[in-house]
Amino acid sequence: MNTDSVISVQALQKRYDKVEAVKGIEFEVRAGEVFGLLGPNGAGKTSTVEILEGLRPRTGGEAMVLGFDPERQKQQLKDRIGVCLQATNLPAKIRVQESLDLFSSFYTRHVSSEKLLQRMQLWEKRAAYYETLSGGQKQRLALALALVNDPQLLFLDEPTTGLDPQIRLEIHKLIEEMREEKRTVVLTTHYIEEAERLCDRVAIMDEGKIVAIGTPAELQKNSRTQSQIQITCAAPITQSWPQWPDAIETSLDKEGRTLTVFSSRPARTLFEIMRWLDQQNMQLEDVHLKRPTLEDVFVELTGKKLRE
Amino acid sequence: MKSYLALMKIDLKLAMRMRSVIFFNYLFPLMFFFIFASLYRARQDPKLIIRVLAMVIPLGIVGNGLFGAGMRAIQERELGVLRRYKVTPITPLPLLVASMVTAWFVFMPYILVVLSISHFYYHLPWPENWPSLLVFISLGLVAFRSLGMVIASTANNMQEGQILIQLFYFPMIFLSGATIPMEVFPPILQRMSQFVPASYLVKGIKDMISSNQSIGAEWELVVVLIVAAAVGLTVGLKLFRWEKEEKIRKGAKLWVAAVLVPFLIWGIYNYVKSKGAAPAQWPQQKGTGSLHRDNGYAHRPRAS
Ligand SMILES: Nc1ncnc2c1ncn2[C@@H]1O[C@H](COP(=O)(O)OP(=O)(O)O)[C@@H](O)[C@H]1O
Ligand SMILES: [Mg+2]
Repeated sequence: MNTDSVISVQALQKRYDKVEAVKGIEFEVRAGEVFGLLGPNGAGKTSTVEILEGLRPRTGGEAMVLGFDPERQKQQLKDRIGVCLQATNLPAKIRVQESLDLFSSFYTRHVSSEKLLQRMQLWEKRAAYYETLSGGQKQRLALALALVNDPQLLFLDEPTTGLDPQIRLEIHKLIEEMREEKRTVVLTTHYIEEAERLCDRVAIMDEGKIVAIGTPAELQKNSRTQSQIQITCAAPITQSWPQWPDAIETSLDKEGRTLTVFSSRPARTLFEIMRWLDQQNMQLEDVHLKRPTLEDVFVELTGKKLRE
Repeated sequence: MKSYLALMKIDLKLAMRMRSVIFFNYLFPLMFFFIFASLYRARQDPKLIIRVLAMVIPLGIVGNGLFGAGMRAIQERELGVLRRYKVTPITPLPLLVASMVTAWFVFMPYILVVLSISHFYYHLPWPENWPSLLVFISLGLVAFRSLGMVIASTANNMQEGQILIQLFYFPMIFLSGATIPMEVFPPILQRMSQFVPASYLVKGIKDMISSNQSIGAEWELVVVLIVAAAVGLTVGLKLFRWEKEEKIRKGAKLWVAAVLVPFLIWGIYNYVKSKGAAPAQWPQQKGTGSLHRDNGYAHRPRAS
């Protein structure tokens, strides 16, 4: 086990009455990274993080979070982590500031609620009842509540699901700030862009299993889906082309000006194509390189789309 | 400790912000107070207002306990409020204690108001033994809130909770003498009422106001209430659920019975004690003051 790992999970299992939600997964989260669990609804993301937060008992396997066993040392663990649940609520008639003060009182460590409110842009709303807040404001309050004990480890379960794109971007900025503050963040999401943009490492989860794990770039690199190179020349290509290295399939469009090449090592292939075009004295008009996205990786690994 | 105080503070604030709390804790019972008072023509004789108090105070306690503690607990669980607390390091204990203490602060003004109206408008002397009376009422409140909590913890959703609570509430208020005077009951119902927990409240409060009894004289009732409260709190903590997804095991519903056991034992004890003296009669007829004839039990034939 890595010494600077904040979370380590081995052979973790979770079974409800009939459903086997988590089927023996294994991963580590290192200090200071944003770790993403990416997967469709029902993949077992919430079950996994809620076991790690000390909220649900596990059916099998081992888990260690900040050096605590989340099942046997719940209280100590809960005192040290920050959590933003997927589904939760506050009393309708509690005021924003009151809720922060209340939750601070539960922890041994706390930060000034004033600063938190300002940072989450809730200062003007501090006297508002919870029931009057918009969806985005409620989510920012949920993030503020997750930070009242100044935790070094944060769990955010689908923090942007169901929010408008603009509010989603606001939340993304806040999560990036948390990373800059060197907090470790475990984030679950079913939005590919979110995982790509925010996460240092991503575990792709499907039907209770982790099907791939790595940095977004690694996952894309290891994908069997090839990159696509598209080159448009000023004049039609009439001469025949050689077999470029690593090129798997090459085709020319009807006009004869656009060449499409699939490659397993696009950087090298592209370089060779450019050299050839130069030798042939062809004028270049446009170049496109399309790498496989995490979405492609996901489809390739699971045979399904993340969102219908 | 910090979390206990913070929870009490917020509970009290939330209670004051909810119209339903104001309505069910103050307006609704006060309405009954005036209805009963006018039915009894209580202005004519201050003794009569004692009967009214012995009805409306238990009515308030039972409502506060079953609906106030019970329904609120179910609501907070259903809405996911408790789920958010579960993430923090607190245990259910501060939540339960805070709701108990808050309920007391919400309830006591009602007692002060009905006693004041009784004094100034219906000419009832101030109860000499008022500390005893307040302790007894507080104890009743704790016992009934515990019962409400246990019922709440055995209900899996709002509808179930509503049905269960009403199942306890209506027999409790109709068979205890809290709404219908005991003396109009046929003997069989009078006997049954001995097993209805709320009738202990009716009797205790009546005795304490009418004959100025101290709480010591009612020690048997006090013991029953304390035991019921202790059992209720213990079971309530044991069955406490933070999330609606955690369903209760079928057998666990029987725990409600555990809270009722002290009352049951007490009922049986009295039944055995008064056997041969049909119909059953309250065990303590001591402290027979001048008001005692009017206390609602005197109409029953006595064993002599
Ligand atoms: N409390 C529960 N009781 C029974 N089944 C559950 C419970 N929570 C989740 N499940 C089931 O476990 C599976 C995984 O759910 P979940 O962990 O919520 O996945 P995700 O967060 O990835 O959507 C789903 O099939 C879901 O229906
Ligand atoms: Mg989920």
